Amino acid sequence: MTLLEVSGLNVFHGDLQAIFDLDLRVGEGEVVALVGANGAGKTTMMRALVGLIASKQGRIRFDGAEISAASAEDIARAGLCMVPEGRMLFDSLTVLENLMMGQVLRRRGYWTLERVFELFPILAERRSAMPRHLSGGQQQMVAIGRALICNPRLLLCDEISLGLAPLMVEQIYAAFAQIGKQGTALVLVEQDVKRASAAADRLYCLLKGRISLETAAGAVRVEDLTRAYFGA
Amino acid sequence: MHLRLVSGVVASILLSAGAPFVLGDGALRLWTEALLILTMAQMWNLLAGYAGLVSFGHQVFVAAGAYALFLAAEALNVSPYWVLPLAPLAAAFLAALVALPLFRLRDAYFSIGIWVFSEIVATLVTKSSLTGATAGLPLKTSSLMDLDWFEPTLFWIASVLALAATAGLLLLMRSEFGLGIMSVRDNDVAAMSVGVDVQRNRLIVFVISAAGCGAAGAVNFLSNLYLSPASAFDVSWVVNMMFIVVIGGIGTLEGPIIGTLLFFALREIVTGQLGLSGGWYLVALGSVAVGTMLWSPRGLWPALSARWGLRFMSVERKAPRLALQDKPNND
Repeated sequence: MTLLEVSGLNVFHGDLQAIFDLDLRVGEGEVVALVGANGAGKTTMMRALVGLIASKQGRIRFDGAEISAASAEDIARAGLCMVPEGRMLFDSLTVLENLMMGQVLRRRGYWTLERVFELFPILAERRSAMPRHLSGGQQQMVAIGRALICNPRLLLCDEISLGLAPLMVEQIYAAFAQIGKQGTALVLVEQDVKRASAAADRLYCLLKGRISLETAAGAVRVEDLTRAYFGA
Repeated sequence: MHLRLVSGVVASILLSAGAPFVLGDGALRLWTEALLILTMAQMWNLLAGYAGLVSFGHQVFVAAGAYALFLAAEALNVSPYWVLPLAPLAAAFLAALVALPLFRLRDAYFSIGIWVFSEIVATLVTKSSLTGATAGLPLKTSSLMDLDWFEPTLFWIASVLALAATAGLLLLMRSEFGLGIMSVRDNDVAAMSVGVDVQRNRLIVFVISAAGCGAAGAVNFLSNLYLSPASAFDVSWVVNMMFIVVIGGIGTLEGPIIGTLLFFALREIVTGQLGLSGGWYLVALGSVAVGTMLWSPRGLWPALSARWGLRFMSVERKAPRLALQDKPNND
């Protein structure tokens, strides 16, 4: 069953085109890694998918409905949510309040405040702290928790491990295993190819706005990937 | 917490009910003015401090409310008190109308855009004979009011407005809607990603803010019995709101109250006690503003509450009961 189907997607930043004629699909409950160098267009594509970039052409179907012209709120309401790059927490709100923002849509499901606190116990301890007083890893947990409470069908995670200590990355990826168990499909955008392909079922590589490689994550050949990542 | 809110409201009502029987005429007028300015400041604070929209053009809503009152009282030939509810409605209507183009502008562009809009409306009003042009409007039906009770009535109306503005803001910000508003101020992209309807939230806040200023503006000019475009569209309305909010503490409910007290205390001391000219009053205001910015850039209230641990009207939501509640809290 295909959950997300993107075909012929072009995305623009003003006069500059960032994504060219891109096709991509994510199955129900599937974990997909999206890798690529800096500036390959990963973040742009994510933001276009969740409706944060309006200047785009092509078809985006999510859960059987066309969403390429939908607003960010409606896309989130349909169950396509993102953990944005740089975490983007609400700085004047406490940890708890940040998490509560995930309940705005009232999408009910497995993930509740209690379950997020079980997944990341440190957040329960620090629930009245302000985001700026948390470590980078804890902030990332808040960002993930906030998105989880929306109970997404598909969760897009943009550069989760960026700037985090290896041990923290380990913990967060361990959480992904649990998240996947609830049937949530995941797209993991990473620069760390090894980490991403270990966690994923399938892998896409993006190069200068185009898909340069699509393969089963277990069958990645290093020379193919090197070419796809850096260009020939 | 609700008990404290209710008792605070009740105490304020009793205080303002009795005040006209204790205060002299001059003091009563001063307090009326202060309460109206406080109302406007809270409305500006709602927009700038909580929704992150800094307006340089709120005088247009002050004027809209005042003109609505004066024109409606004359057209319907009734006591101005009866048409007072039209003032916030007119300001709200104007705000809803202009929100569509204005919200396409971001940050400083919004601030300047709304100022330009205010100037455009001011020019139209000054040119139109319907609104009395540059000469302005007298309050034609003032004879229908009981002038013995004029000052106390205005004071009571001003008290109701200031109380409604402050208590209403407190309740609004403690609600889930308020949480959404503050999330938009912090990071609108993240707010959109979790499904907050950013434009709708901004519109609601903008309209409420305009309505409050319209009501306060109408009462202010009602007390003058005369309305001129130069004073209604005076940019010093928004400058005063801004001074009070920024000095007192933007994004707090206590801040504007402190700011208002300081604003009027300075005026009374400089122009009253010291007998200096209005120019010196502005010098004093400027000095206080500079001093506050140096000592506490976020305003007086955050500094005071941090130093003495004071909290009266915090909008922070309390954690719901959780199974994990008995764990030690390290903060």
